Amino acid sequence: MSAPSSAAAIKIRVEGVAKRFDQSGQPVEALANVELAVREGEFVSIVGPSGCGKSTLLYMLGGFLAPSAGRLLVDGAPITGPGVDRGVVFQEYALFPWLTVFDNIAYGLREAGMGAREVTATAERYIALIGLSGFERRFPRELSGGMKQRVALARTFAYEPSILLLDEPFGALDAQTREIMQDELLRLWRTTGKTVLMVTHDVSEAVYLSNRVCVMSQRPGCMVEEFAIDLDHSVEREQVVLSPAYTAIRNAVWIAVRQQVVVARRGAA
Amino acid sequence: MRTLHIIGASLWRGITAAYPLILLAIVWEAVARLGYVRPVFLPPLSAVFAQFWPLATGGDLVQPLLVSLYRAAAGLALAIVLGVAIGFLMARMRVVRWLLDPLIAFSFPSPKIAFLPIFILWFGIDHLAKIALVAFTCVFPFIVAAYAGATTVPTHQLWAARAMGTSNLGLLRRVVLPASLPSLMSGVRVGVPYALVTAFTAEMVAGGGGLGGEMVLAQRYFETPTVFVYLLIMLATGYVIDLGVLALRRRILRWHEG
Amino acid sequence: MSAPAQTTPAQTLALPIWALHSLSRLTPFVLFLAAWQGLAKSGLIDPTFLPSVSAVGHALIDLGASPSFYTDLAVTLGRSLGGLALGAAIGIPLGAGMAVSRKIDGFFGPLVKATYSLPKTALIPLLLLWLGIGSATNIVAVMFSTLLPFVVYTYHGIHGVPQLLTWSARAMGTPQRRLLWKILLPASLHAILTGLRLALGFSFVIAIAAEMIAANTGIGKLMFIYGESGAYDYMFAAVAAVVALAYVADRLTVVISNRLLRWDDVENRLG
Repeated sequence: MSAPSSAAAIKIRVEGVAKRFDQSGQPVEALANVELAVREGEFVSIVGPSGCGKSTLLYMLGGFLAPSAGRLLVDGAPITGPGVDRGVVFQEYALFPWLTVFDNIAYGLREAGMGAREVTATAERYIALIGLSGFERRFPRELSGGMKQRVALARTFAYEPSILLLDEPFGALDAQTREIMQDELLRLWRTTGKTVLMVTHDVSEAVYLSNRVCVMSQRPGCMVEEFAIDLDHSVEREQVVLSPAYTAIRNAVWIAVRQQVVVARRGAA
Repeated sequence: MRTLHIIGASLWRGITAAYPLILLAIVWEAVARLGYVRPVFLPPLSAVFAQFWPLATGGDLVQPLLVSLYRAAAGLALAIVLGVAIGFLMARMRVVRWLLDPLIAFSFPSPKIAFLPIFILWFGIDHLAKIALVAFTCVFPFIVAAYAGATTVPTHQLWAARAMGTSNLGLLRRVVLPASLPSLMSGVRVGVPYALVTAFTAEMVAGGGGLGGEMVLAQRYFETPTVFVYLLIMLATGYVIDLGVLALRRRILRWHEG
Repeated sequence: MSAPAQTTPAQTLALPIWALHSLSRLTPFVLFLAAWQGLAKSGLIDPTFLPSVSAVGHALIDLGASPSFYTDLAVTLGRSLGGLALGAAIGIPLGAGMAVSRKIDGFFGPLVKATYSLPKTALIPLLLLWLGIGSATNIVAVMFSTLLPFVVYTYHGIHGVPQLLTWSARAMGTPQRRLLWKILLPASLHAILTGLRLALGFSFVIAIAAEMIAANTGIGKLMFIYGESGAYDYMFAAVAAVVALAYVADRLTVVISNRLLRWDDVENRLG
């Protein structure tokens, strides 16, 4: 996969963003002076030690939280709240348990005002895409973790937001399912060309999927390092993962994150 | 200076918390005084308060309240003793459980007040019928609570006690009962208000004194301020008893982590 | 030569497991009725105080054949369900409003808390003063008693909805004002239906109590008429009918609730 050309427009811009929380009287600084720019069509991952605030940043980009300082811009305009241009996939799937698989996937389409026949066609297309044909009438409680995550991804992809925000989307899955889902995500991204911003604690996953990995410092989080990635995904997964190029970058990113973890541990000691 | 500030702050918080009630009181008084409704329907709040004293001094307040409380308490005591005994028995002996479980499940949703005519037939219209109804109504939450409490005693606690030579009765007293206390306290939280309501209701239906009986009497004579007084007393009694139960619960469950 | 296979009791009786289970659950009732009949016929108790099962049974059959009995039952049932519906119509929106709006919670919260400790039957004499004897008093009394469960359970149900669900809905284009109807209420359905079951129980109690205190029709009144005229076997029969009706209503509610909640986790099923 080749990184989008540097001529691609900047889709997401984070400028000097800080976030303060009030936890039972004590102010907690989650983020401090975060700077980030994501181009259109890029797949960017954010990694960092636990609690560094990467999910908080994602929630602000989703429009669910407001920054205490700084700005978040999408296509040059500040974010004022959630919107259909930014789809979100959560680690806990957040599927609507009272709706069937079909109705969950059709939700965004119906909110967009799509006609009934088109909704059915699109939803069924995505259900087939994620390999769950035959499960349309099932409820989320009847699905395994992997299936639920596939529905969550399909639900968000279906109404085609231009940006995808993923918060540890595969964190709750077992190792094998995770690998399958990663390749699924990669395939979906390549066929749709959307801009993807993913938060994950799994460095290997970040390096495997993205064309850019940003490392966040420990709390209060800010960006400390960036790695550009250009792996050849035309070959089998095994070959990619075992290639020296992959291993080198993965190790470098891992060391960068580890340094932050150590600093955090020392700071807390 | 700082203490003044704290007092002021908590006073302000109390006012903002209770302002709908204060508003309601003001509206009530205004509507009644301005003559929008006939006093037989809505006497002014001040008239209701004014009625407290004559009722209290005339023996029409404290006496009936005590009668109702006596009935509720007696019925509750009976319910606790019977309910806990049955609940523990059901937990201990499978036969008892098999025998009683369907009967209890069947009568659970039934309106126990429907049994009042039967109790009146058996016990007359004075205290006993009402106590019996209270006991009958309140025994169910205690059976459930005792059963739940007894069946969730960690087996290892029981084994440890046995190994130390505790007899069956001792086991009950010193292991099962304390371990079931949280569950039993939940039963008390449910049972106490039930006991009070049932006592009041039984009195309203069957007469025979007590706050409920006096209330219906006042209603029959269209003494509206008196009806309101009794209503407020019932509310206050319920509130005070709720607080008491909560305090009791906190005291008894001091050692419990839950 | 293999040993003969063990036969289960079900196989011995040539019955399916569910039939055996039902029989097992019914036997205590049979034993109870047998004990009752035995006690009544033994002569130890004055038959006026304890009519035999057969006498009550006869009375029950008699009542079953009289249309006025059904009318009375229908009147009571109508008052219960009418008050229940009103309680739901007011209580659910109120509980929802209190859960989503700080202002509404601030205003109605203290009012609701103040009525917590009030035995709702205490309102019956007041309602008699205002509305006189009749269905209006009963229905309003039932409404007041069912308000609290609906408000409280709806309130807590909505508060328990995971934030991620509303966030997802908003990200997919649901405007803020539609969140209550599209997301919060469906997600709270379990809590609301639990409140409904509790409120149903209350509605029967209050309806019958109100009839017993002052009414011209209804099963509560009927029970007292039988009591006063000495027709004790009919009185017992009426009580039995009410108990059976309440049980059926409760079961129906549970079955319907579980059907509506078939998407919910199995542990959350209503018992």
